[in-house]
Amino acid sequence: MEDKSKKFMNPYLAGILIGVFMVAAYYFSGEGLGASGALKSVVVASVDAVNHDYASNASFFKARVGGEHSPAKTWLVFEVLGVIAGAIISAAFAGRLKIEIGKSPKITNKKRLIYALIGGILFGIGSQLGRGCTSGMVMSGMGVLSLSGFIGLIAIFGGGYMIAYFFRKIWI
Amino acid sequence: MSKTSIFYVVLLVIGAFGAFIIDTTQKEPFEKVQPCDLIDIISQTNKYVTTDELARKIMADDPTILLVDLRSKTEYDKYSLTGAINIPLESLADEKYKDVLDQNVRTIILYSNSSDLAVKAWTLTSRLSYKNVFILKGGLNRWVETILKPTEPKETALRTEFETYSFRKAASSYFGGGSTVGAPTIKKKASLPIKRKKKSAAGGGCD
Amino acid sequence: MGPLFPQELISEEINILIGFFIGIGFGFLLEAAGFTNTRKLAGVFYGYDFVVLKVFFSAAITAAIIMFFLNHFGIMDISLTFYPKTYWIPTLIGGLIMAFGFIIGGFCPGTSVCAAVTGKIDAMIFVGGALIGIFGYAFTYDSVWKELRGSGAMGKVNIAEWMGMSDGLFILLLTVIAAVAFFAVSIIQKKVVASTNYKL
Repeated sequence: MEDKSKKFMNPYLAGILIGVFMVAAYYFSGEGLGASGALKSVVVASVDAVNHDYASNASFFKARVGGEHSPAKTWLVFEVLGVIAGAIISAAFAGRLKIEIGKSPKITNKKRLIYALIGGILFGIGSQLGRGCTSGMVMSGMGVLSLSGFIGLIAIFGGGYMIAYFFRKIWI
Repeated sequence: MSKTSIFYVVLLVIGAFGAFIIDTTQKEPFEKVQPCDLIDIISQTNKYVTTDELARKIMADDPTILLVDLRSKTEYDKYSLTGAINIPLESLADEKYKDVLDQNVRTIILYSNSSDLAVKAWTLTSRLSYKNVFILKGGLNRWVETILKPTEPKETALRTEFETYSFRKAASSYFGGGSTVGAPTIKKKASLPIKRKKKSAAGGGCD
Repeated sequence: MGPLFPQELISEEINILIGFFIGIGFGFLLEAAGFTNTRKLAGVFYGYDFVVLKVFFSAAITAAIIMFFLNHFGIMDISLTFYPKTYWIPTLIGGLIMAFGFIIGGFCPGTSVCAAVTGKIDAMIFVGGALIGIFGYAFTYDSVWKELRGSGAMGKVNIAEWMGMSDGLFILLLTVIAAVAFFAVSIIQKKVVASTNYKL
């Protein structure tokens, strides 16, 4: 029998339900579930707040700035706020709300945090270049049968498998 | 794998089979109306508009009608009814005319030289479930006989026939009657009605 | 007929509100499946926990099947949704960079946010890193990234069409392959956990 903690939802059920929510997102809002876009909005909004002129001219920010409302008022940002709320609710029910660091026993906490930082930076860059992260680009992209989603899938997971061996100490 | 997990996976596979089967067996959109329903629809007799009725509507400047000339462009250019647009029969199902024809607002009146082409077109639009589509009974031939060149009834005819005749005479002069060659100058060249609000794809995402 | 907001059938306020509630569902499910735990996430690459694969494919397949039906029966028009354009070069390269980010950092943006708010310090750092990464990218955009990002443009490509098959057939093949993979990984997982004595 599979070793899974009773407290975690059956992964297939969770996946199916996420799929249903994804369809709802597409049906109502025309968008898929995502995350990195919201982070980008945060960046755009903060740069805009600090130096509006620069933001209006630099090509990265231009498209998002100068409209009627703040560049942070996007569907994705509110969806991510919802994600935050949902995660907290679920963790609260399952007793998983606690401060900790996830890692293998074989490395120190400090190392883990450094890796987390590096990993985050890489993901920040990669998600902008790849036009999305795993949820928005890959999962939602696959849901609408877009080629880009599948390319992302192969790139992220294929790439992951190729380099996993070299970083195994972090995890196992 | 646990029993519940197997259940969910099987559920997905069944769903996928369903999609596959539907995708390969059901073609759309021409299957919108089932054949048995089609017979009922075709048997309706109120799908016609007589030439008199049409003349009245045009003279009253009825904005709700839309005349569709089903003949070829050459014939349409030579002569057509006031305000009619030209959609040759073979192009009737084209995507570009869908917004014009598939709507609930205006009354579409199909016509050709006689009723034949119009009936064919009407069957097609019924199949596609378009509403508010009618046929000009007798087509342009009848239009000429009754409206442009009405024949005077015999003295022994009924009074109603005389009344109809007076109406037709008035209509005839309104439409510049007497000849189908040399389109009357009051004819306005109609263009396709304004499309409904443009649907554009959603923006957003991580772009 | 859906999608509603792109056709202005619902207001922007309602749309955003709906987005919020859908987000709640998504976040709840991610956490419930264990995606806040970075070791579970990385497990797919090492064979001791395939939860990522299971959730991912179940979600994508479910959505694809449901939307196929909705599209076929005219309840929703997929071409009006935010259908991503395919830029295969930056997506491939970006994906590889993200792969490094995943293996080293142990999260992806969505899961990192979930984990950060439930107390995982490494996740908080990860989010911070992501923001820094985006900042860096933004300020070097014109000089470094712009051209790369726009390369390999293919427009909106449907993979089934691209491979020359119908949507339904592609979905079926994908599902069958995924089902086989599900069975396979459950066996692999058992073996790996047993041999490495992996404990959560």
